Amino acid sequence: MQKTFTAEFEAIRPQLRSYILRITAHPADTDDIVQETWIKSYNNLASFQGNSSLKTWIFAIASNLAKDNLRLKKRWPENVTDICKQAAVANPVFFQEAMQIRMSSPQGQFEIKEHISFCFTCISKSLPIEQQIALLLKEVYGFKVLEISEIMDVSEAMAKYYLHYGRNKMIEIFDHRCALINKEGVCHQCTELNGIFNPKQQAQEALMKIEMARQADKLDKSELFELRTKIVQELDPFESAAAELQLHHLEHNRKVMEAYLIE
Amino acid sequence: MTLATSTSVLAQSTKATTVKKTFSRTTSVSTVIEADATIIWSLLTNASDFKRWNSTVISIEGDIAPGQKIKLISTLDPKRTFKLKVKTFQPEKRLVWGDAMGNRTYTLMPQADNTVLFSMTEKIGGPLFPLFAKMIPSFDASFDQFAADLKNEAEKIQGVK
Repeated sequence: MQKTFTAEFEAIRPQLRSYILRITAHPADTDDIVQETWIKSYNNLASFQGNSSLKTWIFAIASNLAKDNLRLKKRWPENVTDICKQAAVANPVFFQEAMQIRMSSPQGQFEIKEHISFCFTCISKSLPIEQQIALLLKEVYGFKVLEISEIMDVSEAMAKYYLHYGRNKMIEIFDHRCALINKEGVCHQCTELNGIFNPKQQAQEALMKIEMARQADKLDKSELFELRTKIVQELDPFESAAAELQLHHLEHNRKVMEAYLIE
Repeated sequence: MTLATSTSVLAQSTKATTVKKTFSRTTSVSTVIEADATIIWSLLTNASDFKRWNSTVISIEGDIAPGQKIKLISTLDPKRTFKLKVKTFQPEKRLVWGDAMGNRTYTLMPQADNTVLFSMTEKIGGPLFPLFAKMIPSFDASFDQFAADLKNEAEKIQGVK
């Protein structure tokens, strides 16, 4: 059993790591939680009844640890990206560091889709934690409602409520904010940053690589949200070609938010 | 047809009704909802989500939790903020909020066919009620809309795959 467990844990580790990062927005805490999950699940392997899959059981342990980690922390506001942009503009060191990563790191590319994924992480932290967890499990990691109810230790009805609430709230926030899907949207951050990090690239050309942007006038907001989650699903925030740049950006936002929420 | 089903079918067609008395007025509505009581209860007790699905509510501030105070603005009287207290909070069964003038009661009754009979009643009144009774608009249309919105949203969530 131990051998199977180790093999299975290693197989899901990348997914687990990206899931916990998307909940905590904290790379160092993420690695601690994943390691703690390994220890806790290994030590409690005898209590695994096989009523759910091993993966579901491990995700349940990790989710509880992530929730414990965030228990005393406030949720982020919906306009997190506005607040963090202001802080970044006022902090020349942020752009110096980012530019150094951009120029020297093999994971320092800037791509709009990477920023869309990053933005999804930041905005989803404005949801109540249960809704955020349910949403990530379903829309990004492909768990079924029954599995989500097992991971969260709630009824299927409750899991459905969390999912519906989280999904609708995210759709509403992006519909009001994201200029990629709404011409009146207030947030252009991904294209603005593309201009900074890829000055020779035409913004329109870059946008046309994003199906969600191409389809913005044709699809309804729910369908556009599905295209958005597809982008998030396909990116591993630790392994992508933009990972170091985006993690630097995420670390900045987390620190700004921690200071902002104490005030 | 079982007794439970026959009750549900009858209840499904209920429209809001109002009973007027000298010192009080009571408006009621009920509807059968094909969703789990957990979902209906979650919708009724999550203040921050109310406005999204309920077209009769302009805003609710506060926590819908035992003993808590909430501020409600309804389409019935958009200029007025009702300051209400949560008086009864029995999860998935009964919720009552109100003020000195009256109470609104929400009741969930699970049926044998896995549906839930939802009912909502508001009784307002008091010794001075006859003086201002004519100034209070009818609640009937708003109650019908509330029940329809709740049914629509809860059944949509029940269908989440």
